[in-house]
Amino acid sequence: MSVTVGKKAPEFTADALDQGQTRKVSLAEYRGRWVMLFFYPADFSTV
Amino acid sequence: MSLDSVDTHRGWQEKELSQMVRGGALFPMLSDPGGRIGALYGVYDAEEGVDQRGRFLVDPMGLIQSMEILPDSLGRNIGEALRQLRALQHHQATGDYMPCGWEPGKPTLSKEQSRSGEIWKEWKARHAF
Repeated sequence: MSVTVGKKAPEFTADALDQGQTRKVSLAEYRGRWVMLFFYPADFSTV
Repeated sequence: MSLDSVDTHRGWQEKELSQMVRGGALFPMLSDPGGRIGALYGVYDAEEGVDQRGRFLVDPMGLIQSMEILPDSLGRNIGEALRQLRALQHHQATGDYMPCGWEPGKPTLSKEQSRSGEIWKEWKARHAF
């Protein structure tokens, strides 16, 4: 499966910090909404 | 999302991000140990052991509609990402096509116009900027 426009975004679930709490976040829970997904090299750097 | 742990995210949030914006990051900060998710999206750099600066817009059906990867040295243009989001939302709502340089409020094209060979009647190079 290739990652490109018009194709399905790969599903994932990850541990996350959300509003000060730790929880599991999955891409699937955002179905029905637009998602802006950011990757970045490291905390304490620019984003 | 980065390879950092949730605890490291929390430290960054408390020490730095909260100094940049009240309350810190307003969105979930995900942890990607080993770059497993970055690899799925083609942005994991195994030599450096980091996720590259990738940005993906995913639509309500779960389809990727826009993607960008920048080097570590170059920060993003959030305004451009939001412009793309608005254009994509406008397309899904109306079927319209957005020509080069489009911003909210500027003229759009029908699908037929976008393939007609007569875009020159509506669009000039100055509209790109």
